[in-house]
Amino acid sequence: MSLEQAFRISSILWAGVSFVALALGTGLPAWLVFFTTVALLVSFARAVGAMAGWFSVPQVVRSAVTWNVLVLAAFFGFVVESLTSGELLYAGLRFLMVLMIMKLFRLRDRGDYLHLHAITVVMMLAAALRADLWYVPLFIAYLALGVWTLFLHGMTRQRGNQPFTTFATTPRQQTTCPSGFEHGEEKVAACFFQMASGLALAVLCLTVLLFYALPRLETRSYHNDDGAVIRTAGFSDSVNLGALGPIKLDPRIVMRVELPDRAIPERKGLYLRGMTFDHYDGRSWVNRLGRRWPIRQTTQGIFALQGQEGGEQMAPELLSRQRILLEPLDTPVLFGAPFMEAVSGKLPAVQVDGGGSFYLPVPVANPLEYTAVSRPTTVLPADLHPSSFPSQYPEEFLRYFTQVPPTSDRIAALARTVAQHARTPYEQAMAVQDYLARHYRYSLALPVSDHTNPLEEFLFKRKTGYCEHYATAMAIMMRTLGVPSRLVTGFLATEWNEYGNYYVVRQQDAHAWVEIYLPHSGWIVMDPTPAGDENVASADGLWLAWTRLIDHLQLRWNRVVVQYSAADQLAIVQGVQTGGAAIGHKVRESFQILLETITGLMEKSVSLLVTATLGQAVATGFTVLVLLGLLRSMWLFRKRSQGKPLGMKEENERAGGPVTQLYEQMLSYLSAQGLQKPTPLGPLQFVNIVRHQWAEVSSMVEAITTLYCKERFGKVPLTLEEYDLARQRLGELRNRTRFASKSDLQRGIGAGNGI
Amino acid sequence: MHIRLARERPIRQSIRLTSEGGCFSLLVLAIGVVAVHTGNNLFYLLLSMMMSALAVSALAAVFSLRRLEIGRHLPDLLYANEPSPVALVIKNQKRWWPCYALRLMDVAADWSELNRGLVVPHLPSGASRILNYTLVPSRRGLLKLRGVKVSTTFPFGFFDKTAYYPSSAAVPVCPPLKPLPEWFMREVLKAGRERSVHRKGYGSDLYNLRLYQPGDDSRTIHWLTTAKTSQLIVRETEEDRERRATIHLSPLAPDSHDALFEDAVALAAALVCHLIRRGYWLRLVVGSVCSPFGYGDAHQVELLRILALCERQTPSKAMMSPPPDPLWLPDSEPEGAIIVVRAWCQAPIPAARELVSVLDVEALEKGPYVS
Repeated sequence: MSLEQAFRISSILWAGVSFVALALGTGLPAWLVFFTTVALLVSFARAVGAMAGWFSVPQVVRSAVTWNVLVLAAFFGFVVESLTSGELLYAGLRFLMVLMIMKLFRLRDRGDYLHLHAITVVMMLAAALRADLWYVPLFIAYLALGVWTLFLHGMTRQRGNQPFTTFATTPRQQTTCPSGFEHGEEKVAACFFQMASGLALAVLCLTVLLFYALPRLETRSYHNDDGAVIRTAGFSDSVNLGALGPIKLDPRIVMRVELPDRAIPERKGLYLRGMTFDHYDGRSWVNRLGRRWPIRQTTQGIFALQGQEGGEQMAPELLSRQRILLEPLDTPVLFGAPFMEAVSGKLPAVQVDGGGSFYLPVPVANPLEYTAVSRPTTVLPADLHPSSFPSQYPEEFLRYFTQVPPTSDRIAALARTVAQHARTPYEQAMAVQDYLARHYRYSLALPVSDHTNPLEEFLFKRKTGYCEHYATAMAIMMRTLGVPSRLVTGFLATEWNEYGNYYVVRQQDAHAWVEIYLPHSGWIVMDPTPAGDENVASADGLWLAWTRLIDHLQLRWNRVVVQYSAADQLAIVQGVQTGGAAIGHKVRESFQILLETITGLMEKSVSLLVTATLGQAVATGFTVLVLLGLLRSMWLFRKRSQGKPLGMKEENERAGGPVTQLYEQMLSYLSAQGLQKPTPLGPLQFVNIVRHQWAEVSSMVEAITTLYCKERFGKVPLTLEEYDLARQRLGELRNRTRFASKSDLQRGIGAGNGI
Repeated sequence: MHIRLARERPIRQSIRLTSEGGCFSLLVLAIGVVAVHTGNNLFYLLLSMMMSALAVSALAAVFSLRRLEIGRHLPDLLYANEPSPVALVIKNQKRWWPCYALRLMDVAADWSELNRGLVVPHLPSGASRILNYTLVPSRRGLLKLRGVKVSTTFPFGFFDKTAYYPSSAAVPVCPPLKPLPEWFMREVLKAGRERSVHRKGYGSDLYNLRLYQPGDDSRTIHWLTTAKTSQLIVRETEEDRERRATIHLSPLAPDSHDALFEDAVALAAALVCHLIRRGYWLRLVVGSVCSPFGYGDAHQVELLRILALCERQTPSKAMMSPPPDPLWLPDSEPEGAIIVVRAWCQAPIPAARELVSVLDVEALEKGPYVS
């Protein structure tokens, strides 16, 4: 394959990679993907066909005027689309793709290919707007193909400017790069691949270095926030019963949760608390305590509830930390395990409402990483004992958390029946929870209902529902029993990623549960929802493991590349400074120890010399002299080996050339046949001896000797053909035997020694 | 032919952006602006990749032109307006790093570049290449070459890196040679004479027998006489008879006769070549420069070298007297035919014992003038 053809093919492949990246990233229309694919395939076939001569696609449109008209038409379409749709970016991308299609059909000269290269760069840039983990292999392929294409461009650029000159080749060159540039033709050779791969590796390494070294300026003036936000439900001030049902079929990931204090998952899953609701009107829940007030940030950058300050005042074993990477959602709620008391991270401000839910001022359009500190509650023994049952809660407290809708008589009767044997609120809650879990069936496949009271429909008619129905039923039943309760929406994380040791939380993990207020323990989490029999993510274990591995890589990609920021750079610099200081300290310490050792040895030596006898002093001096002599000998040997003249080295190399070795083998064989070459005899004189004493092989000996003299004394490297000839002659020689018997051989040896 | 090897380390280097490199740099700048304004790290990734490509391109180009050994093969003599082969030898002394896309060009004394499209697409480490090109000197004189420029756009064509390897050479450029018609030469040589001399020298006829002396060539021992006399006797041979001629080129000519002087030099060169080819023993006198008699190709080169370097002298009163022969021969030594070539008719003719043929180039346009 010639360099020109390789350049054409590589350019089209380069464009193909950037097209795949753009198609994956921005969701191009199907017709555009189809036409671009066809254009790429046709261009590739044309390039390959020109090489092999088996495929030829004629130029569809040859006139430059026609092309210009087409470009103008495409530009007109771009203007119209951008004005009508208002999406300038996507209209521009489509215009770019149309330009690429036209360019692919009109690749004629070097300028066309350079235009195609520029388009590929812009396409890769556009693909970066919506990049995900797939961007990694595509980026590496893009880099490798780009380097290879530019390399070929640099090589063929010479030819484009000036014709190649014929030149002579030396045997050394032919052996070094046997498949490249034979007879003055520029062909793609293995050494080209090696050089291009080396350059690509160098570019990749430098790219990584520069990527982390380039200063990140926090002066961004453009935010790309269209279309990336995940729409969710259940996290507004008013939630209709059944609102969580649709999103529980959505497998999109909404957050990932790491537990820095533990490496194994919770047995029952991790509850991630979102919002609380205190008022139920029979069809929907409302948060009447939704008024938010800001939380003051401490000097350490922690947003903590008053008096908590990140939990320093509490025993560490009672705290639970979660490091959460939240995808862009359409709600400002900050999720965390119950009950959140502090958050920290790159947060502009944090607010809290009366239900203890944490909020951002506005929903974010980019992934957000923060750390939540929670205080998990347990039921205190005082709440388990019947004697500690208080007679009454505060009036204000009851007003909010014991409200029931007007038509709940049947529900109250059911609650009393279920909890008739319970003596404490906790026992009542457990009884209701067990009753709901045992007597009702979990299902997401609910028919559309126009019942005026969906809760009664769930409890007495359908007896099938999902988390919202269970939680609402329990909350209302507990309220009818006089126990304060509230509904909580959030997520129940159960999918543990064993590769990255974190929970993967998806939309389908949206959940609703109940919080019951106990007089001594406070709010505790109760979940009456049984495990469902619908397995939304029904897939085999291998596939799930694969998806978890991919998700782990995705998370690493996001953390290491996508969310790399100036703060990370600062942390790296501080780490390097700290490491440098530690290394410097270590070096100083080692040097000091070494100095002390040497000083100690010198002191001992001096004291020994002072107190030594004459014999000891002489022995010591002799030892020192021997050591110095050895050091000098080593130094001289090293200097001689380094300063060996180049000519001497080449002479040695020539003495050990391939034909020389064959010549030595020939002499060895002739010696075994009774023709031993005396040392003072020259090679050509020995040929004469052989000619007289064993004329049958003289032509072979002469041929090998001639080549040996040429290599040994002619200062000309031999070609492969000459080496093959010498080897062939040696093979022929070895097929001949001079003596039929051993006695003849003995006589022959005697004759040979007599030369 | 002679070879001058350049040093391995170039003394002058330069690097400049190509047009592609300029466009690429602008693209890098634009992506940098976009990356800063969006804060998108993937834009930073692309920016890093493109900056790395630029940096690697510059570094590879610099490294590619290091440790090269460059030699030049030049003919001993060039002829004006005639193509002459020149060979450049380039060797890659680097142990691991091959060179790609090298362009070579000779650099003249006035720093002008003789770009003949010499390209080495690939030069493996330790390998060498010979590149030939044709040099056409435009005028007579001394052609001086300063060195060789090596440039490359390797690897990506973003930078044009140039290194200058000094390798000075000076080659005399002879006037263009034009064949002379036979009738013209007959006219010229009519006035001279051909002589045969008997002298000791290289030849085939016996000249003398004498006793062997230390240092004599053993092959000259005359064995028959040695056997008869019981003394080592050597034979001396008589030099072959040769025809002789002396060409006087007068350098005197006013400024207005500059072109005619060049014609006169060209005529003298043509005479030299013609006479040498015919086996003449030849001597050339140009002003104060005088060559000894000689023959053969080596002598012809020597005479042409004198003609290549001779310069016109503006006449003055002191110069108008007949010039003495700077290498005046004794009476026993004939100087053969004497041919005087003049660009200016008023230039003095040297006094000579023999008849002189005078060729006035100024009058040659009307026909050969021989006096």
